[in-house]
Amino acid sequence: MSAPLYQLRGVEAVYEGNECVLHVPRLDIARGEILGLAGHNGSGKSTLLKLLGFLLEARAGSLTFDGELVDRAALRSAGHLLRRKAVLQGQDTCLLKRSVAANVAYGLKLRGLPAPRERIARALALVGLDYAQYGGRPWMRLSGGEARRVALAARLVLDPLALLLDEPTSGLDRASTEHVKRAVLSARENHGATLVIVSHDMGWLSSCADRVLTLEEGRIVGGL
Amino acid sequence: MDYFSEGLTRAVELLLSLDPEAFSAVWATAVVTALALAASLLIGLPLGFALGHFRFPGRRVARLFVDWMLSLPTVVIGLIVYAMFTTRGPLGEWGLLFTLPGMGVGLTLLGLPIILSMTATAVESTDVRLTETVLSLGADRMQLLFATLSEARFAMALAAASAFGRIVSEVGIAMMVGGNIKWHTRTITTAIALETGKGEFATGIALGIVLMLVALVVNLLVALLRRRAVA
Repeated sequence: MSAPLYQLRGVEAVYEGNECVLHVPRLDIARGEILGLAGHNGSGKSTLLKLLGFLLEARAGSLTFDGELVDRAALRSAGHLLRRKAVLQGQDTCLLKRSVAANVAYGLKLRGLPAPRERIARALALVGLDYAQYGGRPWMRLSGGEARRVALAARLVLDPLALLLDEPTSGLDRASTEHVKRAVLSARENHGATLVIVSHDMGWLSSCADRVLTLEEGRIVGGL
Repeated sequence: MDYFSEGLTRAVELLLSLDPEAFSAVWATAVVTALALAASLLIGLPLGFALGHFRFPGRRVARLFVDWMLSLPTVVIGLIVYAMFTTRGPLGEWGLLFTLPGMGVGLTLLGLPIILSMTATAVESTDVRLTETVLSLGADRMQLLFATLSEARFAMALAAASAFGRIVSEVGIAMMVGGNIKWHTRTITTAIALETGKGEFATGIALGIVLMLVALVVNLLVALLRRRAVA
């Protein structure tokens, strides 16, 4: 059996103000696993996701990712390389002031990879958007739901090792929600990505996730 | 209103006949505006970006200083530059008083705070989620810097247009530092002021038309830039 993708031991995270908002004594996330994170607002789900996405530094404990210890020095020197393997989509959608196609291609360009039209079109199709209709559309001519789907396509196109999603279906209508759910699961089906999904949709999490952990006041208090 | 319509007719005649005196003022305006705008952009864009992007000790004081510079009366800027460049001034030996480069320096002091302040504001107000988004997509520090710069591009273009509008229409500094010397440092605005004082409305109106056309072209360019940048 291969080693877990993530190994967290005694990890604590704080925001400005020094108040501990997350405490994880032990957590392993297997390769290709779909892990659901549930809990009330402010319970630490997004903080844990940012930690897993290397956008937040742990104050204490150890975090191992893909066999490498991720300490402060590693984050400083190679944080961007880690973030290229574990890609996070935050709760708030933010697109660049560019066309839809340019937004989807952006991550590939950051990696110095080619962004052929077919690859962009495939990623857009995964979230239910047609390249011919949406590819050239400027970011400000998208609805909120369309923008969220474009943001997801911009992550799916990268084929990351881990895809971390913070409430990917919130604020979407039923049709868009279905597209997003299918697209998210395709990341594991197509290339075995590990998925960590924060959602209040317990029905969905229970049906698609291998495990669902519940957080309360920054601690994991239960799991299914 | 006859004098006005006569002035307008005469202005069109002057423009169509490529009146050398009028076009000398247009040329002087073009040169000093180009000098001042280039200097303002070269200094203001990187400094304004740094002021908006980086957090460093003294940043608030620097911001206050720039905002204070914005509100300086142009006649005071003219006075300071005149005092520096006059033969008894500390930079008198440079011989810049009553020259186009000297006017360029004065007008740079007018345009620079505009570029600095608007660029810093533009960078500060780029979506706070932008940093997290760009980093999460795998950007290194340099790529994050360029992304922020790129996202602020419309606002920076508007800063350049605003500075241009302010520089090209300035009278006080041009008059004090340039001396309004015919065929030499007389710009459109100083010529308009002089010709109007003499009752020569035609030349004033002709030059005013040129100034308005220039402003129109610049605004069209900004609009075009905005549309292209979005695509």
